[in-house]
Amino acid sequence: MSELLEVRNLSVSFDTPAGEIQAVRDVSFTVKAGEVLAIVGETGCGKSVLCKSILRLLPDIARIKAGRIWLNGADITDYRERDMCGLRGRFFAMVFQNPMTVLNPSLSVGAQIAEAIKIHRPGMSGQAVDQRVLELLRMVKIDHPEERSRQYPGHLSGGMRQRCVLAIALAAEPALLFADEPTTALDVTIQAQILDLFREVQAKLHMASIFVTHDLSVAAMAADRVAVMYAGRIVEIGRVEEIFLDPRHPYTWGLMRALPILSGGCRRLYSIPGMPPTLINPPKGDAFACRNEYALDIDYEEQPPMFPVTDTHFAATWLLDERAKGLEIKAPDFGWRDAGETGAKPAAELGSRLVKQTDESAESGSRLVKQTDESVESGSRLLKRTDEPVESDIILDVQHLTHIFPLSKKETLTAVDDVSFQVHRGEILGLIGESGSGKSTVARCIMNVYRPVSGKIINQGIDVCDTKAFRTHKKLLQSSGQIIFQDADASLNPRKKICDIIAEPMKLHRVKPRRGTVRAEAAFWLQRVGMDTAYLDQYPCVLSGGQRQRVAIARALSMKPAFLVADEPVASLDVSMQAQMVNLFKQLQEELGFSLLFIAHDLAMVRFLCDRVGVMHRGKLVEISSVKELFRHPKHPYTRRLVESIPTLDFDRIGQERRRGR
Amino acid sequence: MINKRHIEVLIQKVLFFLGSVFVLSVLVFYVSRLAPGDPLVSYYGERAEKMSAEEREWAENKLGLKDSIHVQYIRWLQNAFRGEFGISYKYKMDVTEVIGGRIGNTLILGGIGFILIFVLALALGVLCAWQEDKLADRMICKVGTITSCIPEFWLSLALILIFAAALRWLPSSGAYSIGKENNLADRVRHLILPLSVVVISHLWYYAYMIRNKLLEEVRAEYVLLARMKGLCKRQVLLGHCLRNVMPAYFSLMALSVPHVLGGTYIVETVFSYPGIGTLTYESARYQDYNLLMLLSLLTGMIVISCNMLARTVSERIDPRLRMDDRRRYEEVDRS
Amino acid sequence: MRDGFQVVGIRQTVKPPVPASGSRRQGKPVISVLVLLLLVVGCLTCDIFVQRDPTYLDLAHSSVAPNREFVFGTDTMGRDIFSMIWYGGRISLWIGLVSTFIATAMAVVLGAVSGCASRRMDGVIMRAVDILLSVPSLLVVILLQAVLGKAGVLSIALVIGVTGWMSMSKVIRTEVRQIRNSGYVTASRCMGGRFFHILWHHLAPNFISSVMFMVIMSVRTAIVSESTLSFMGIGLSVETISWGSMLSLAEQALAQRAWWMIMIPGIFLVTTLVCLTNLGNYFRRRVNERHSNL
Repeated sequence: MSELLEVRNLSVSFDTPAGEIQAVRDVSFTVKAGEVLAIVGETGCGKSVLCKSILRLLPDIARIKAGRIWLNGADITDYRERDMCGLRGRFFAMVFQNPMTVLNPSLSVGAQIAEAIKIHRPGMSGQAVDQRVLELLRMVKIDHPEERSRQYPGHLSGGMRQRCVLAIALAAEPALLFADEPTTALDVTIQAQILDLFREVQAKLHMASIFVTHDLSVAAMAADRVAVMYAGRIVEIGRVEEIFLDPRHPYTWGLMRALPILSGGCRRLYSIPGMPPTLINPPKGDAFACRNEYALDIDYEEQPPMFPVTDTHFAATWLLDERAKGLEIKAPDFGWRDAGETGAKPAAELGSRLVKQTDESAESGSRLVKQTDESVESGSRLLKRTDEPVESDIILDVQHLTHIFPLSKKETLTAVDDVSFQVHRGEILGLIGESGSGKSTVARCIMNVYRPVSGKIINQGIDVCDTKAFRTHKKLLQSSGQIIFQDADASLNPRKKICDIIAEPMKLHRVKPRRGTVRAEAAFWLQRVGMDTAYLDQYPCVLSGGQRQRVAIARALSMKPAFLVADEPVASLDVSMQAQMVNLFKQLQEELGFSLLFIAHDLAMVRFLCDRVGVMHRGKLVEISSVKELFRHPKHPYTRRLVESIPTLDFDRIGQERRRGR
Repeated sequence: MINKRHIEVLIQKVLFFLGSVFVLSVLVFYVSRLAPGDPLVSYYGERAEKMSAEEREWAENKLGLKDSIHVQYIRWLQNAFRGEFGISYKYKMDVTEVIGGRIGNTLILGGIGFILIFVLALALGVLCAWQEDKLADRMICKVGTITSCIPEFWLSLALILIFAAALRWLPSSGAYSIGKENNLADRVRHLILPLSVVVISHLWYYAYMIRNKLLEEVRAEYVLLARMKGLCKRQVLLGHCLRNVMPAYFSLMALSVPHVLGGTYIVETVFSYPGIGTLTYESARYQDYNLLMLLSLLTGMIVISCNMLARTVSERIDPRLRMDDRRRYEEVDRS
Repeated sequence: MRDGFQVVGIRQTVKPPVPASGSRRQGKPVISVLVLLLLVVGCLTCDIFVQRDPTYLDLAHSSVAPNREFVFGTDTMGRDIFSMIWYGGRISLWIGLVSTFIATAMAVVLGAVSGCASRRMDGVIMRAVDILLSVPSLLVVILLQAVLGKAGVLSIALVIGVTGWMSMSKVIRTEVRQIRNSGYVTASRCMGGRFFHILWHHLAPNFISSVMFMVIMSVRTAIVSESTLSFMGIGLSVETISWGSMLSLAEQALAQRAWWMIMIPGIFLVTTLVCLTNLGNYFRRRVNERHSNL
């Protein structure tokens, strides 16, 4: 196979007023024709920038500082914009992360696809173009292509729009497709469908592609080779089975341990501590050192070079250096490593073993010793968690809740339809459902943001929907129940300092600060959620997504609530941040003992956090049971689909490829 | 595809229009009658001040000024339905005739001005967006801000001072030289100064609007997709961004009619240009009631219909306004 | 010797939070503010440095071109333009401020009410505003002026203020709607924030910048309206000196080709307006971190 794309020592920088951001640093890799390369890493590691810099779609402040790019043997590094226009679409195309914003809202989908066809085939007749549009729409599996092609993006769902974007990308049959987190912004059940579609199309057209994702399990499903990126560098690159079965870089270890599926039965999810550095003045030495428990002294001094492991497998870590041989540092146990190394057990068995493992949650609780040994946990708690909470008193009782939104004079939207459930004291109840299933509306009804059309919500013995009862107990309810919103970005006033944001509920309820001043109280809670008190005088705009959510949690907890509603608090974060947040919730809940209604759209995180889970579908609560029960015996078809959509590592494929000795 | 719903909407619009015109006529009628001032002065000129009491009474009876305001209004309304709007006190002619003689001039000045503003603003806005933050853009923005700050009347005075008084290149007033009513070149010469004032004082406001809207569009993600297809920057700017801005621009331009019209009125007065502007000004100052009524109604009708046009345009053309019904329920919260 | 090859684990390299990255609000309008300050201070303290009485009709020296005695010349009635500029500036700026105050008060009240009201109420108010907006303001001003009788400084300010609040109230209403639907207001409501708490702590700080822009633009519009009205002879009379009424002698000035009577007050007027616009734009310019995709 010939090299389709070759990138050598590429460095890309952004010139900003705050300084030079080195988004991509000295990156080299190749892609052969027909091959799928996955680029994996946390948000802010430069994966997207890398793709866009190859396509030259970056804004003017970005520049390629060094390195060369070859496409089909031709050096395109110095191509001018005009030359690049001829290449884009025809030789390489790209699918973007957010299908909701990437289509032009005022052009019909068909017109946008047709445009992509006509650019590269100016002579094509109108009729032929129309035919081709329909053909493309069929290829990406859009039903009723004739009608759909006349519709505007606003009429299509997210998954449908992503299919259209893919159709546009495929219009001129490019040799190389870049897919920049194409499933991240979609619902879980849709994610799986789109991922399947990608694999199918890729196989059908024998197209090479570069698949960017923050989720290792997605990479395992889609890719031939995997490159792990951190802080603008590729830290490990190799064939998919090499990366999964024999990872060498501590960052790869961290990413793998953070996969919910591999933490199996552990009581606590593993998460890499801290977050990726900002790339203005990147740290000296290995950028990962300050999050790396295996960091060597030299990591803080010198950037490690790429060490070859095999002909196709490279990793940039000093652990592979001759001098580090004596340290005997091995990768942590991922559960299948031993089997993988011997290669004796058939792959199928391997996979089933893994699934079984994740089921038996209680038993394997002590697998990852370091992370899971929590002495704080009392035996009684453990007992309560595994058993159904039968006799604990009920803190929140939702009875036949229904809420209807008027869309226009005639149409209405029944967002919540006859939903009943209870939350017990000290319990974590999960509420799952795709976007638009009414979970957020339930949360808002409970928090009295919306007044439900019918039904009862009894919060600590007080009927929230009864105006009179609500008025008399308003203070109590508002201080003892707190909510955390999905979009932490919007729920923090951009013009207030963090200190004032955390102190707002205390000031509203005139709570006497237990630690002297309000500021001290705010500082205490900020530290409690794992943030530095130096942030007290900052504004929300300097915080990252995860940090903002932490501030929102601190604000909610500062009132010592008996009951907390968390409305998709992790949805907008990437996997490693999600794990951090879930751990934080779990830890705080154990320490403070509040009840938690945790709303999410996928099961992966919920299973580690919740005692019981309710599943919502189209406004109805279709199933509610303990986590164990739900995963073992999902009853409702939608629940079954949800359980199936949890990304699993494709061990069949990895195992087969390994045996073939590719 | 005319169905019941379209007819309903149409009827609604017509009713709204008629209602607005009615309210406007009441407002203008009562306010102008309540204003102090002697309408007889405009009819009889200097003579009115020397009239005896009987003569005054006779004159007021003749002009129907004796009755109460309500009676006067109803009488005006009845006549208006028959198409009679009374006579102008000052010109002693039917008001429709007075206006008919002048409206052409205003339409020429306002119409050409409007078209020029529309086209030039578009071109300038696109140029600035294309050259964002580069020298050309910055220069145009600076100059534009200054020109948009100059009051119309002073700009007119300054231009007259320079081009008419000092340089003597162009005439300073009127629509044509006496005796050259049908001379096109002469008319054009008279039109240059007022027209440039109308254009210069409004141009930047709209060009700046286009520029800012385009800069917003250029930051949208769909630009990336369009470029990924292989479109070059110019094609993306004109074919996608500008296209998305146009509905907003159309409705803005419809809304701008009253401003341009108001500007024209001022310019007309300064240049003593025989159009409706000068006429309105005179009739308001000299209590020429019938003329004022019809002029206000005319202006109001143009403005109201332009506003309605703007609303319809932005509702119909822009599919973004029609979509995402689901999102709307976010707005319904409990107050 | 393993020269650095021993496991040390996670070492905290404490980085203080990065302060807000270099703000994109480049170019504060320093010059504009300075010029405005100079003009305002000049107008306020003109009693000290202006020697001539601006209302004194020195018919012996009418229409004198700028010279050493009359720095800016005299007008057709023999008044000294230099002193008129400063005293007239007082009136012009005063009218700008008073009418803006009236307009802002009306706009904030109606905009906030409309923004907080139910959807139907909001629709009614906004339709009414639309109708009012559709009446050419010049016409209204002329009519109102006629009703109020002989124009005084306050009556002019009132008329301009009453006709100038509509577009501002629309902007405020949109802002209120937007902020009201934002997450932090919902969050605050859940925490038990009352209306006035939310208004003061959440709404006000967030819409202050766009309101400031509208306020400054409204000062500008008011000054323009006053001068236009006075120029046309329906505003202030020639005896009440303002930049606009100074220009109402323009016709005679044109006849005499006395450029200074037109240019000098005009230049002061336009300078003030340009400075105000720059200041207003400074408030409007949002911090835009995103970069062009083109």
